Amino acid sequence: MKEAASQDRQGGFDPGGLRRAFAILGRELAWLDNAATTHRPEAVLRAMDEFYRKHNANPRRSVHQLGTEATLAYEGARSKVAAFLGASAPEEVVFTAGTTAGINLVANGLARWEIGPGDEVWVSAAEHHSNWVPWQQVARRMGATLKVIPLKADGRLDLEAFHKGLEAHRTKWVAVTWVSNVLGVENEIRAVCEAAHAAEARVLVDGAQGMAHLPADVQAMGCDFLAFSGHKMYGPMGIGALWGRRELLEQMEPMIYGGEMIARVEDGDSTWTDVPWRFEGGTPHAAGAVGLAAAVDWLRELPPAAHEHEAALARQAAEELAALPGVRVWGPAEGRLSLVSFSVEGVHPHDVAQVLDNRGVEIRAGHLCAQPLLRRLGVESVARASFFPGNTADEVRRLVEGVRAAQELFT
Amino acid sequence: MNQLYQAKLLEQAKQPHGAGAVPRGTEDAEAINPGCGDEIRIKLSWTPEGTLERLVHELHGCAVSAASASLAAKRLEGRTRKEIEAISAAFAARLGRSGFEEEWGDFQIFNGIERYPARIHCARLVWQALAQALARENQAGR
Repeated sequence: MKEAASQDRQGGFDPGGLRRAFAILGRELAWLDNAATTHRPEAVLRAMDEFYRKHNANPRRSVHQLGTEATLAYEGARSKVAAFLGASAPEEVVFTAGTTAGINLVANGLARWEIGPGDEVWVSAAEHHSNWVPWQQVARRMGATLKVIPLKADGRLDLEAFHKGLEAHRTKWVAVTWVSNVLGVENEIRAVCEAAHAAEARVLVDGAQGMAHLPADVQAMGCDFLAFSGHKMYGPMGIGALWGRRELLEQMEPMIYGGEMIARVEDGDSTWTDVPWRFEGGTPHAAGAVGLAAAVDWLRELPPAAHEHEAALARQAAEELAALPGVRVWGPAEGRLSLVSFSVEGVHPHDVAQVLDNRGVEIRAGHLCAQPLLRRLGVESVARASFFPGNTADEVRRLVEGVRAAQELFT
Repeated sequence: MNQLYQAKLLEQAKQPHGAGAVPRGTEDAEAINPGCGDEIRIKLSWTPEGTLERLVHELHGCAVSAASASLAAKRLEGRTRKEIEAISAAFAARLGRSGFEEEWGDFQIFNGIERYPARIHCARLVWQALAQALARENQAGR
């Protein structure tokens, strides 16, 4: 491992140094499942630990000292996340349980009231189930049609087909992923938003796979909503955020009713407190928010070379896997961000993953929660290796060797 | 290295007993592994005496699910419905739990599968389809 780490130092980036921030990587495992969840650096764990050890109280409720500290920590985390996204104000950031919760909130709390029979909702063919099923269900319930932005042969969005299919006043919502969790390609969000807005449709972006790898700037994206998860960007599980334009958040209905989201409760009806707190009914995951803010700090410190390194590993893996007979690599040849999905002829992806696991290489296998996309690719499941800047060229070598071993075992 | 992939499992998986085409719509039952999307469709045929003649399965799945389907077909053919139900229950009590005794023969390749909890679903797939097929036949009064 040490030798491999020093090999990787060319280019001025030292993955070995970065790895030391992750206690769990002290185990001799090559963690190539970062797209499912990253690990958390010490700074994130420490921030959460300190919240519980030093400032624990139910935020936004109590006048006592600890209550004040907990509120400051929780709202401070919101400000930090808002600044990271380029939001106009902290109030545009809603803390959620994760990407899925954020998308469901928008689909059911806002979109469903704006969609009627004969209207259209668009998703792209590359969506994760979490950005497909909520829209599919809202469209079904409201008598609208779900339309799909097709992909070109290289896995990128076919924007020409999208432009042709868009219809002003009929197309109401467009839900699109920033980065595909299967193909590893960054979508042209700005172009999608411009076309959608020209047709007076709204756009939600699933940011789950982008946050750890690309600079997030909601103004540059031009979208109306951006949903993401903490745990895919070195933060805790169970926390995420939804950024939305203030005027749209004001129109959105809360989906979770209860404590601390109301202005006044009468016997028969209630009014809501301000945005964004009206969407955060119940005791919030304050330690999670604090951990997410620490993850944001940690991400900000990563040098550009770190992202170049993870992309280089994905490129190397794609090239070396594609060179094996019987292995097919999915996604574009150019512009792959940090993951590679592949199929091995005659070997089921689960079996590939299990053989790799026996060699201490951890990858994901299955439908990757993207059955509509996999159906279009003509497969039921795939294997996927996904990288972070602490991975090494040696781990890519172990991946490729393991795939070769699986081929030998099964064919 | 490959505790799960013993020679016997690979042997079953490479040439599964009972594998055949079960076109969609002609199956008695199907089962899907929601974790990976794997899918099995099965078709049962019975002798006039009421014993299982063939369990044909078309599987889109991994080596573990293929080996399990193969062993199930071998074990169950020639048995009555009642015997099949008893074997199914006995299988369920052993897989990932008490493990398979010597009399279960090659089923012992699944002993230790509890160390790979994600794969228990794979070994169970054909049995889920079977339970559904039997329930349907019962409902139809056959």
